[in-house]
Amino acid sequence: MILSNTEEIPGRTIREFYGVVTGSTVRAKHIGRDFMASLKNLVGGELKGYTELLNEARQEALERMSEQARSIGANAVVNVRFSTSSVAQGAAELFAYGTAVKVD
Amino acid sequence: MEYRPRTPREGVNVSAVHPLSELVTLVLGISLAVVVLVVAAFAVIEVVIRWVPPSFESRVFASLWSADLGSEPEDPRFDAAAALLGRLESHWEENPYELRLAIMEEESANAFAVPGGTIYLTRGLLDSVESENELAFVLGHELGHFRNRDHLRSLGRGLIVSLALSALVGGSAAESLPQVVTALTESGFAREQEEDADAFGISLVQAEYGHVAGADGFFKRLPDANADIADEFASYLATHPVSEARIENLWSLAAENRWPLTGELTPLPR
Amino acid sequence: MTGAAIKLGFPLLLLFGTYLIGSAVEKTHYREIRIREARSRRFPTVNFRTPPKSWNIVGAEMVAGNVVISIDYFKRFLAGLRMLFGGRVASYESLLDRARREAILRMKETAFERGYNAVINVRIETSRLASSNRKGEGTAGVEILAFGTAVKFAK
Repeated sequence: MILSNTEEIPGRTIREFYGVVTGSTVRAKHIGRDFMASLKNLVGGELKGYTELLNEARQEALERMSEQARSIGANAVVNVRFSTSSVAQGAAELFAYGTAVKVD
Repeated sequence: MEYRPRTPREGVNVSAVHPLSELVTLVLGISLAVVVLVVAAFAVIEVVIRWVPPSFESRVFASLWSADLGSEPEDPRFDAAAALLGRLESHWEENPYELRLAIMEEESANAFAVPGGTIYLTRGLLDSVESENELAFVLGHELGHFRNRDHLRSLGRGLIVSLALSALVGGSAAESLPQVVTALTESGFAREQEEDADAFGISLVQAEYGHVAGADGFFKRLPDANADIADEFASYLATHPVSEARIENLWSLAAENRWPLTGELTPLPR
Repeated sequence: MTGAAIKLGFPLLLLFGTYLIGSAVEKTHYREIRIREARSRRFPTVNFRTPPKSWNIVGAEMVAGNVVISIDYFKRFLAGLRMLFGGRVASYESLLDRARREAILRMKETAFERGYNAVINVRIETSRLASSNRKGEGTAGVEILAFGTAVKFAK
């Protein structure tokens, strides 16, 4: 599955397009990560625990979006966009969407 | 490029787990974690208590003796009670404490031991005990708490558990589950404490009077809202074991030690 | 005994009750969504900006569809437990999935009713509405907004 956040895949032509496909996942941090984060908030620096967490979640969202695209016979998703929003105190939704297309 | 209408597969963006099974797994997992945490915290407290000598305790907590909580009134009943406390203490050889008695002006009958060496009785209790023997058991029970350092334990446990809970869970919506599990675990330990204090109390009564008659008077008069000895659940949640069970334990302990169950009761001055 | 029974029983009853009602509502909603999606299959909805050259566009208008959903007691309780452990909050995923599909459908249907033939440059925004109690920590609802440019072809 080719993913791109441009309108066209550079060097390829889009033959067919199928519509918007989405991938989302809702993840919560756990107590351990939260605790380390509050310590880090005293000294500053990268919150590695959260970085990992959000990375994993974003990967999963992309994977689900590709899954939707695959199920309709597409081989690429263009114009991929991300959106992160908090849905509850301590949980965030990672959302990726794009247009599923077939390129040659 | 051409448009081809297609519908993606259903269910890609939802997890396949059934909500009820997830609920059961989470509840069990969290309860287990909380029980482990509480037991570990209690074990830590046990170790810490061993290192807190009574002299240190008296020094640090002596300021808790505040005239606002209770007082030493001028009446013969109080004087008799204070003298009784002194006599009971003399039967406890390794007593490291300097204990004092104070009265809280409250109608309900209650008694408790406070770090630093003060025993508080409510006015309601002082007025309602029918014999010196009954009061002796109540005081002896509190002496038992001092002997076992229970008052320090409760303080330490309360502190650690509430700190840990608020640090880990605090503010989250699902506080209720950890709180309930903590309360259940705590009350299990608390019952054992009360039973041990009872045993010491009655041994002091025996030492003072040569018999244990009248010691259960206090229990007999405690209002028992959920008094059903088969009511395991309610009595488990209450930190004081149901009175019937406690009375039975007293008598079986007395029987084991062959302490006389009858004898003359000493009255208290009005 | 009755005291303890009421203390534990009422929340359990509430949990179970809202679970049953919530899952019934969810099933009905999903069924309805699937029907409407099937009906609107032929209506192109894409998120790129440049329309295909074959489309002869004679009119365009921005359209939007939005929905605000509330989180039922059971889902909220389950999520609260999950947030102690961490991991995927499955109870919210189905909620957000439904809401998103509903918002996109509303956008499509609005465009269709106004006589347009497709929607391009679709964007989707999600926001949490904080509840006024619990110092703004609770969630009163989640809003999903789907908006894009509806275009009309020359026939």
